[in-house]
Amino acid sequence: MSKQVPETIKKQVKRSFNSKEVKKEKNEKRVKLLKEIQSKAFKRAEKYEKEYLEQEQKLVELKQKALKEGSFYREPEPKLAFIIRIRGIVGVPPKPRKILQLLRLRRIYSGVFIRLNKSSLRMLHFIDPYVTWGYPDVETVRALIYKRGHARVNHQRKIIDSNEMIYDKLQKYDIVCMEDLVHEIYTVGKNFKHANSFLWAFKLKPPVGGFSTVKKSFVNKGEHGNREQYINTLVKKMI
Amino acid sequence: MTTQQLRPIVSVFPIKGKVKTIKQVPLPSVFSAPIRPDVVRFVHTNMAKNNRQAHAVSTTAGEQTSATSWGTGRAVARIPRVKGSGTGRSGQAAFGNMCRGGRMYAPKKVWRKWHRKINTNQKRYAVCSAIAATAVTPLVMSRGHRVNKLPELPLVVSDQLQSLTKTRQAVKFLKFIGAYRDVEKVIRTKKTRVGQGKYRNRRHVLRKGPMVVYARNLGIKKAFRNIPGVETASVYTLNLLKLAPGSQMGRFIIWTESAFKLLEDIYGSWEKPSKFKSGFYLPRPVMVNTDVERIIKSDQVQTVLRNRRPRSRKYGKKIQRADPYEDMSVMVKLNPYYKTKLQKQKELEEKNKKERKEIVDKSRKEYEDWLYFSEEEEEEEEEEEEEGSDEDREIEVLSDEN
Repeated sequence: MSKQVPETIKKQVKRSFNSKEVKKEKNEKRVKLLKEIQSKAFKRAEKYEKEYLEQEQKLVELKQKALKEGSFYREPEPKLAFIIRIRGIVGVPPKPRKILQLLRLRRIYSGVFIRLNKSSLRMLHFIDPYVTWGYPDVETVRALIYKRGHARVNHQRKIIDSNEMIYDKLQKYDIVCMEDLVHEIYTVGKNFKHANSFLWAFKLKPPVGGFSTVKKSFVNKGEHGNREQYINTLVKKMI
Repeated sequence: MTTQQLRPIVSVFPIKGKVKTIKQVPLPSVFSAPIRPDVVRFVHTNMAKNNRQAHAVSTTAGEQTSATSWGTGRAVARIPRVKGSGTGRSGQAAFGNMCRGGRMYAPKKVWRKWHRKINTNQKRYAVCSAIAATAVTPLVMSRGHRVNKLPELPLVVSDQLQSLTKTRQAVKFLKFIGAYRDVEKVIRTKKTRVGQGKYRNRRHVLRKGPMVVYARNLGIKKAFRNIPGVETASVYTLNLLKLAPGSQMGRFIIWTESAFKLLEDIYGSWEKPSKFKSGFYLPRPVMVNTDVERIIKSDQVQTVLRNRRPRSRKYGKKIQRADPYEDMSVMVKLNPYYKTKLQKQKELEEKNKKERKEIVDKSRKEYEDWLYFSEEEEEEEEEEEEEGSDEDREIEVLSDEN
């Protein structure tokens, strides 16, 4: 008896949105898009490398100039901080607890980037005993996003495994690749909010070599509170 | 509800001679009634309770003692105990359901509700469903009837069947029409009943065979009475318990022609009410077309649906990737400039190295030059100091040369 295909299946195949031609077309489009993204990524990465270098050199220049003139150069105040929660969730009073929640620091050794302004500094003031924070440099930001960067996609935490992922979500903010993301975060650009909220809170490991004492502030040979540029060494131990 | 303007035709067969269509009659509307197994099950389970006979335990059972509790302080349980002495029964526990010879827990009473009222319309709905199911061959077969050799289902036969008087004639007819296989099954599978019914005058169990439905009994009842498994029924009084035995629809029915035609009058249609059941119209189905799959896959529905959202397989799986700082391929995928960057860094390093080397070499050379130059000066000074002994040295030299 010859194999008869049911009418409904025949119709479905004809009507199908997943037919071979449609799939092929979609695939071609996707491949083209990926190429575009990668070429953009290359160019932008190049641009940013130059930019970071120039920034450094400019800073050095200005300092030297000031020294020559006999005056002082006051560096611009940092715009970006990286906060790491270093205390657990037991016994946290309601105000710090709420602020930690708002900053997405819901578990110990979780880290987030934050834009520094008067309001956020006041928030940090309340949660100082529970966190340590500082001003990350480019390499720290890079390491965090490359190695431990997870994206918030469909209410899920997915590791960033390609620029396509970033393109899909942040294309409208002109962020299409990893370096774009790093740049946006590091320089606290116009779309810092979106770049930062795209990133899930970083889940770091306990530091290699341990902490001295979390009960004391960093200034008092402890660990909590603002540790400015020493956050970079700490992140290297925790990443 | 739009009725079928064109009613399907059913053949009427003779009761002997050749199995061929002698007449054709339209299918009554009942056979298009909705087949509702849930309604049939409900009505059947309740209807089946209606031929029960009351039973109960004797009212005095277990109570025919004057037992009293001994109370506390006697190192025995406080259950009422039989009074008196001189017999083994005295002092034994009585009355309780846990006691030997006591009355049972909640003794059964005859005034238990044995019968069930069912709404008339529900009963009629069930019967219509059951009749409709008898025309559906898969249902009849799944009920277990052997209907492979029948010329047609529903099986309608000439009215001459109603005038049969002899069982021999009835059997001959069943064999002729192909229904005897079902009867054979019944005979073959007659068994002793499992359980206590066997010594309560219900010794044997028989399957259900074909049911013959007639309009007028002109002998047919007696003709088919003795054939195992076969039941007869008047079309005016079709019993659900026989149409769907065990609430399983699809009894094999043999209709006589007049009985078949009467179905239209007895059960009516959606337009015309029944002539015999006042105010009764055939039940309307909830869905006219129950082939849901077909409806969904039809062009009319599919063209109106939006596109299926693409399954984002890329985000679906839990993607594990290597550490970009350890695996270069992952790093390059994320940052295609990385290799170039490393190269440039390398070049810069080498350039710096070279420059530094040049500077170091230059300064080392300068130092060596300076050293050499200062040595020369020292030597010259030394030479000036030792000028006196020079001639002696020269003479010695000359003598050596000689």
